[in-house]
Amino acid sequence: MKKIGIIIDKYHLNNKVTSFLEYLKSIAKVKLYVEESYFLISSSHQFDEDIFFLKGKGDIILSLAKLIEEHTTIPVINSFKATCLAINRFLNSTYLRKAGIPVPDFSLNPDGTSPPFKDYIIKNIVDQGVYKFNPIIIEEDGNTRVADKRALDEVNGKEHQYNFLYYQKFIKSKWEYKIYGIGENIYYYKQLPVLINPIKTESRQKIDEISDLEEYCLKAMEIMDIKITSLDFHKDQDDKFFLTDINCTPNFNYMRNGYKIVADYLLKEAKN
Amino acid sequence: MNIGILSKRTTTFAGKIKKYYENKGFKATIYTLDTLVINETLFKNDFYILKSKNLFFLYAGFFLEANNIPVIPNPQVSFKQKNRIQSHFLMEKAGLLTPRFYLGTKETLLDQLDSKVFPLILKPIMGSGSIGVKVINSIKELKKEENKILYLEDFIKGIHYNVYFIDKCVCTLIKPPLSNEHVEMKVIKTSKDIRELIKKWRFFLTENNLFGHLDLVRDESSKELYVVDPGSFPEFTNWKCNESPVKKICDLILNKYEEKKANLDN
Repeated sequence: MKKIGIIIDKYHLNNKVTSFLEYLKSIAKVKLYVEESYFLISSSHQFDEDIFFLKGKGDIILSLAKLIEEHTTIPVINSFKATCLAINRFLNSTYLRKAGIPVPDFSLNPDGTSPPFKDYIIKNIVDQGVYKFNPIIIEEDGNTRVADKRALDEVNGKEHQYNFLYYQKFIKSKWEYKIYGIGENIYYYKQLPVLINPIKTESRQKIDEISDLEEYCLKAMEIMDIKITSLDFHKDQDDKFFLTDINCTPNFNYMRNGYKIVADYLLKEAKN
Repeated sequence: MNIGILSKRTTTFAGKIKKYYENKGFKATIYTLDTLVINETLFKNDFYILKSKNLFFLYAGFFLEANNIPVIPNPQVSFKQKNRIQSHFLMEKAGLLTPRFYLGTKETLLDQLDSKVFPLILKPIMGSGSIGVKVINSIKELKKEENKILYLEDFIKGIHYNVYFIDKCVCTLIKPPLSNEHVEMKVIKTSKDIRELIKKWRFFLTENNLFGHLDLVRDESSKELYVVDPGSFPEFTNWKCNESPVKKICDLILNKYEEKKANLDN
């Protein structure tokens, strides 16, 4: 039996992986590395796993991934690079655009300086700690302005971290296109945007393949070295798609048999 | 030519760089954290100097390089020197000794750290220099820390050095432990092993090896040199060797820009 290491935080362990772990344990030996109780020593890097899977994005998780990558040949999915890029909205926007993938215009501004576009959404720069998106919506003079409370708290809240806000041009879209990439396979869904209906699954529906989205998804996965992902796209009034978000710890429970698809993929990618 | 300087301050070394280039007839603008906006408006300069490793200057550096605007020193390498975890593996990869580190939540560390490993040095994961750095002598002292996740390094007992390098010139100073770059330091003759270490580091950095500094500690028992903190663009406050660093650094940067520009044009 292959041995799979799951590097995970308590939030994901308690809320997101029950079916996945149950199935995985029936096909592989599973060892959990839980962020909140893992003691990392830089000189200790003896691992006998055939593959590692990251389900979380905290500093200890990232450091362990880096340690494994530096000292072993065991595959890590998603890699340190993929996770670091995916959690940093500014950096991934920069590199995705450079690769030719359409992303909405963006700007990183000191608090109090307006971005060069009228409709915008303020997002947290590094999507690492609090998982829940908590939007504050302001319609003003015909413009849509949305702010994620997490982003505002990073600048003005109790745990002030810095003085910059990440602005992304707001693309009005009837649907939000949710694309899952797992290895070479792509799965297509659409749902009403979260700002219209926060309960994602209520309106979610499977849709046919869209060639533009397939191209963008595969390219994004390649340049970010990301093997398991979900991507959000908005479609503007000219029917042009824009990648608004890329996620390195997608909730695969929203896909039919998602837990099984991911577990089987990990097994396939494990060392021989 | 228009030159952008990414720096926390407009005075100190960044100010001297600005003045040097202005005297040469160039237009130089310093972007501080109050004036920096990271978007296409930055494209008006021909190249940028990354004076500070503050995260937002690094973001600006990544953004500019992704849009084919040269940034010197290289933001990727500077970022790896700012993040303690990445910096540790960078040193290992370069074949240099660096202290072992421990990482975990405060509860995990309190539960699992062997009391024999103290004293340890507590450092912020993202950081450089001496800000937020302190010695932790015991579990009892660790209990007082407020951060949820803690990064601790073995404390290497021995002589501390601040070693600057500009091109092939190396300047070594004896440094009080855990002090910043600006305290008074005594210059000493650079030993053969320090010179070799700097050579190895510069070789590893390849084209990004114009200047920088390393904080070193010579272990009092093994006499081996440990790298405890790398720096990509120090203030050179204690540079006490031959000519002034400003001219030399500005000229090196200009040469590097010409080289990068030629590569981009091709």
